[in-house]
Amino acid sequence: MFTNFFPNLGRVLEKYWGLFIQGAGYTLLLSFITVLFGTILGSILALMRRSRNKPVSGFATGYVEVIRGTPLLLQLYLFYFMLPELLPMLNLSKFACVAIALVINSSAYVCEIVRAGIQAVDYGQTEAARTLGLNGRQTMLRIVMPQAVKNILPALGNEFVTVIKETSLASTFFVGDLMTQYSTVRGSMYLVIEPLIVVGAIYFILTFSLSKAINAFERRLKVSD
Amino acid sequence: MIEIKNLSKSFGSLEVLRDITEKVEDGEVISIIGPSGSGKSTFLRCLNLLEVPTSGSVFFDGVDLTQKGVDIDRHRQKMGMVFQHFNVFPHLTVMENITLAPVMLKKRPKADAEAYAHKLLARVGLSDKAQEHPRRLSGGQKQRLAIVRALAMDPEVMLFDEPTSALDPEMVGEVLAVIQDLVRNGMTTLIVTHEMGFAREVSSRVLFMDEGRIAEQGPPEDIFNNPQNPRTKEFLGKVLR
Repeated sequence: MFTNFFPNLGRVLEKYWGLFIQGAGYTLLLSFITVLFGTILGSILALMRRSRNKPVSGFATGYVEVIRGTPLLLQLYLFYFMLPELLPMLNLSKFACVAIALVINSSAYVCEIVRAGIQAVDYGQTEAARTLGLNGRQTMLRIVMPQAVKNILPALGNEFVTVIKETSLASTFFVGDLMTQYSTVRGSMYLVIEPLIVVGAIYFILTFSLSKAINAFERRLKVSD
Repeated sequence: MIEIKNLSKSFGSLEVLRDITEKVEDGEVISIIGPSGSGKSTFLRCLNLLEVPTSGSVFFDGVDLTQKGVDIDRHRQKMGMVFQHFNVFPHLTVMENITLAPVMLKKRPKADAEAYAHKLLARVGLSDKAQEHPRRLSGGQKQRLAIVRALAMDPEVMLFDEPTSALDPEMVGEVLAVIQDLVRNGMTTLIVTHEMGFAREVSSRVLFMDEGRIAEQGPPEDIFNNPQNPRTKEFLGKVLR
């Protein structure tokens, strides 16, 4: 079968390069939406977890544990079938349902990233701010958060890399991402390995360049320490 | 100025402070000495409620800070505190470290706050460091910055929690000199310290703490030259060699 590998690879690329580009676009879009809203929701959850109000922190803790303790594929199925039933008036697209599930999933992980980032800031910083007379909110916004961001940003970048790979699960519902395009090409050309190699290479280029960018960014943060 | 009544503090089953009653008058300079684990730092931290007392009261300017509904942030503005590990804000410049609280909490115009900060920096010999980031400062300079940051709020009392314990020996002097200068200018001061020579020289009163109680207290001459409590004798015998 490998005698035709390179010629086949060439044919796949020649015929379907547009599809792969489009798939990469959807994958990036889905990942970006997931990380953006996951970060917003995750940050809120992190603050909730730190709350002294027991029901509030309890809810956030439960949310994080349940989401992290169940498979993403299961969550995708659940939201894919449940959301349109629950909110028929919104007329949610497949893409939206999948995106929401990914956001919910990612927010649980981001919550832990943000929480760890805040905890890594020396408690002496909080004490110094509070003795000056800053209240808890002012201390968090002006003293703790600006320092926590340095811990959080690189970890968020890594979450982005993870999410890019995880969006491949979304192809279960044919939302147009890279893996969806793989299925399309496989079906029309009756080739299994070659398109897989192409898609794998694209995933790798995306994640590898992003990791490198994060590393460079992290080094710059360190310099300004 | 500060009145402590039946103050007790426990961490779980560990009793750190046991029923302390004490009074700090305006202009007093009080050194708190004692073996480690005797509750000195906890006592100091209870005065501005960084540690919440298990029982008892702390009156500051006549207000019981331990009561529910007291705006503790307002009262803390009048109680400056300096820590062993400086706790300067590393993401802000020296100037921003100093002006943050006055501008934010006292609504001082930024220019006024900066002018005042320059005056204070000159007083502690850090005039040329205003635009630096704290990471470029030595330990002694960081601690002087921390003192200036507290002073910028015009506190009525300064609390020092082992301000020289984390410093390299050659930097202890410069920080003590700044504190001494404050004291000479009449700042009411409480200082937890292991610098016995300094305690003897600057304080108007020395508290010796042992096992969560003030075991002995008095003017420095009495405590250092003629201690009455056997625990005080034992402690001073170990540290004054």
